[in-house]
Amino acid sequence: MEKILLRNIGIADSHTLDTYRSRGGYASWQKVVGSMKPEQLIEEVKASGLRGRGGAGFPTGMKWSFVPKDNPKPKYLVCNADESEPGTFKDRLLIEEDPHAIIEGTLIGAYAIQSHTAFIYVRGELAFGATRLERAVEEAYQAGYIGKNIFGSSYDLDVIVHRGAGAYICGEETALLSSLEGGRGWPKVKPPFPATHGLFGCPTVVNNVETLAALPWILDRGAAAYSALGTEKSKGTKLFSVSGHIARPGVYELEMGYPFKKFLEEDCGGVSNGRKLKGVIPGGGSMPVLLPDEIDKVNLDYESVQAAGSLLGSGGVIVMDESTCMVRAALNLARFFAHESCGQCSPCREGCHWMEKILHRIEYGQGEQGDLDLILNIAGNIAGNTICPFGDAAAWPPGAFIRKFRGEFEAHVAEKRCTVGH
Amino acid sequence: MDPVKIIIDGQEVTTTKGKTVIQAAAEVGVAIPHYCYHPKLSIAGNCRMCLVEIEKMPKLQIACNTQVAEGMGILTQSPKVLAVRKAVLEFLLINHPVDCPICDQAGECWLQDYYMQHDRQESRFEVGKVHDRKRTIFGPNVVFDGERCIKCTRCVRFCQEITKTDELTVVNRSDHSTIDLFPGATLDNPLSANVVDICPVGALTDRDFRFKVRVWYLQKTPSICPGCSTGCNISAETYQNRIARFKPRVNEAVNSHWLCDEGRYCFHDLAGGARLTTPMIRQEGGLVPATWEAALQAVFSGLGSAPPLAGILSGRNTNEEAYLFAKLVKKISAKHALEVFYQERELTPVQKILMSPDRSPNFRGARDMGVSSNGGYEALLAELIAGSFVGAYVVGEDLIATAAQPDKVRAALQNLSFLVVQDTRITETSKLAHVVLPATHFGEKEGTYTNRKGRVQKLNAAVIPPKGARQDSEIFMQLLDLAGERNGDANPAEIFRSLAREIASYRELDFEAIGDQGIEVGAAVAERHDR
Repeated sequence: MEKILLRNIGIADSHTLDTYRSRGGYASWQKVVGSMKPEQLIEEVKASGLRGRGGAGFPTGMKWSFVPKDNPKPKYLVCNADESEPGTFKDRLLIEEDPHAIIEGTLIGAYAIQSHTAFIYVRGELAFGATRLERAVEEAYQAGYIGKNIFGSSYDLDVIVHRGAGAYICGEETALLSSLEGGRGWPKVKPPFPATHGLFGCPTVVNNVETLAALPWILDRGAAAYSALGTEKSKGTKLFSVSGHIARPGVYELEMGYPFKKFLEEDCGGVSNGRKLKGVIPGGGSMPVLLPDEIDKVNLDYESVQAAGSLLGSGGVIVMDESTCMVRAALNLARFFAHESCGQCSPCREGCHWMEKILHRIEYGQGEQGDLDLILNIAGNIAGNTICPFGDAAAWPPGAFIRKFRGEFEAHVAEKRCTVGH
Repeated sequence: MDPVKIIIDGQEVTTTKGKTVIQAAAEVGVAIPHYCYHPKLSIAGNCRMCLVEIEKMPKLQIACNTQVAEGMGILTQSPKVLAVRKAVLEFLLINHPVDCPICDQAGECWLQDYYMQHDRQESRFEVGKVHDRKRTIFGPNVVFDGERCIKCTRCVRFCQEITKTDELTVVNRSDHSTIDLFPGATLDNPLSANVVDICPVGALTDRDFRFKVRVWYLQKTPSICPGCSTGCNISAETYQNRIARFKPRVNEAVNSHWLCDEGRYCFHDLAGGARLTTPMIRQEGGLVPATWEAALQAVFSGLGSAPPLAGILSGRNTNEEAYLFAKLVKKISAKHALEVFYQERELTPVQKILMSPDRSPNFRGARDMGVSSNGGYEALLAELIAGSFVGAYVVGEDLIATAAQPDKVRAALQNLSFLVVQDTRITETSKLAHVVLPATHFGEKEGTYTNRKGRVQKLNAAVIPPKGARQDSEIFMQLLDLAGERNGDANPAEIFRSLAREIASYRELDFEAIGDQGIEVGAAVAERHDR
């Protein structure tokens, strides 16, 4: 399969403008500014079937079309480079090795909504990547791809790279905007939505790195070439970052709809050390875990993973073999979410720690009868009742772990110890 | 104002476009429980207590941020809604210390109230509470208990949006989130204690009031703040015949939901201290106690034989008292000057949100009643210093202590051949009097105040005056009796009816109609004062 997102990865000096240009870089941007109206561009991306790669899978062209054209306020495009989902490191590769693809995509996205200031909000911990992004933006300014009268047109656009200060929640788009505004990284109450009341109260679109990085190829080859790939509803390709007990961890680009089992066994070389697979989280730490027999029928596209009871999410695949204590795995994730809850709304602020504390006592031999149902009940009381999707993200994993590995959890409680090892 | 039809719990209701579900429900008496929502603050949506079911929406929605739409079906009592209320209350209480016996908020705590209404389950939390700071001083009037805080951010939003002084913020994350002062800041803005009122729980308490009285012992009397002429509506709350605190009472035409700190605590000065309970007459060697009959007779004959006479009334006297006082002074002495005490000062922009530049809540009403002749209090004081008067009748103010040049005022008062001081306490001024009459303060009387903007509002007696002191109106009527004008034992309502007959701009006003929200006096009066 021809690589779309990883097309420049592995090429020497792939992060420099010269290399990027030598491989056709910024031609799409020139084409867009030189010959396309914003509406045309939006239609083209709608036709490509591209969906948001941050996790929710919302159609990108449609998201752009929600920005009101008659609103006199400035409009902003924000590239969400705050990749922090546990098990997810796909954007990081692009940020570090192909920053110009992200920038070109950001420029195209900004043009679609006629934004004159675009932001790239990059996770603070990705210091090396942020430096590369900043340098690449500088290069693009010098080359005239960003700035005033781009390619001799009347279109002006500035791009600002902003480093986050280390909060998972700032990957949630409205928390990202709060942070970008200089406030606490707190999600905003919706409605209103960012399309009309986003950054500084202005119409704003937030797109993920991977989404934007696909745009130069789509504009170069055309929507039809992109939509020819993938399944009926999940078009094109998607990055997967694979980690855990797997022979060949790393970032892979797959055509949507690729069989999950085949991917793990053939592309990734199967479970490491000859052990047996125990469970896989398909889409980043907040998505429900799947059992080995559940993934047999699953293909890697939005619909198929959802049908199996989980979500494709960010494409962060976490592989766990038979040596994994699932109580400990659930505790590990619960601890992460408890620590990262922004603390704004009651159910998430209070409930995440509560679940973590109960999981902790189960793992350390102090679990009590009723603890499992209590966790399920708490998770149910959080999910759906919070300001932002973080509540769901925190509530799903413990629920899935307990439902799918209930015997193991009950053994921990009954025997008052971890029954798997360590 | 487009009408919108909605259905709340099966009941069809017409409301207006732009309203939120919580507002529309409140209009028809459906109270949706909430913590972070406050009608005067921006929507935070963080407590999740007001989640309701909206037909055709998959998830529960917060009523504070959901706008009504035509045909919207809203369920506030469905099993899902009742379950989530219970869940949210449980979340809010798991790390709460439940120290109600030593918490000043107990009895007016929204956690207690909602727990009884919506939760009533035993704790399922057995894994160790999060600890936070206790007794953190935020400012001169406010103390913070982090463990009781539910992070509704009402206090933060108040300082951002109402005073715009930005002292408070949220710090830390997840269940260690807490409210704190910005580095170097102190919560000392002129409206700071309002955060105590809007705090729905015991996190922010009033340093002046706390540990004084359990709130369920308080008797609450609707009244008017005597601090300045804004006329903020208050609830004067008393215990064992003492004022324990003022709380703001909502009046959108005056003070909205707020009360300034100066007004809130002014009762300490105005109602505190040792009281005068016996009339006194000056004899060789000083003031000696006398009977009321002897004192009133001395006042009547003394003032009558000391023209020209200056009559100075406190700005805290009611309209009814002012009306009688003007009548009395005019009756006693043909040559007289009348003024109500009035001094102005500079206010900061934050003070101006609520405060007026004076300390005379009823200066305008007193002037309306005729306590006004020579172009204001300062002009009259200048005449007094210049020696233009032989006698003076001073009610409720210490002219020396409040003067810019106290020595000159003292000398002028010493030069008078007859000085009557009617007050609640011994003051520098009353020490110079020939007759001292023990009277009552704002908290002991019923009557009306007219605020700076011309709103007539009702003052109610919150405490009973000490034995021996008499109401100012009673004293004036008894002196009028001696002067041959009989008023009988007129009560404030009857006096108001008399003054409404005589004073043109009050003619339309009905004492009973003033109610607890007040009414505007005629526009003609407003014009006269704005000149």
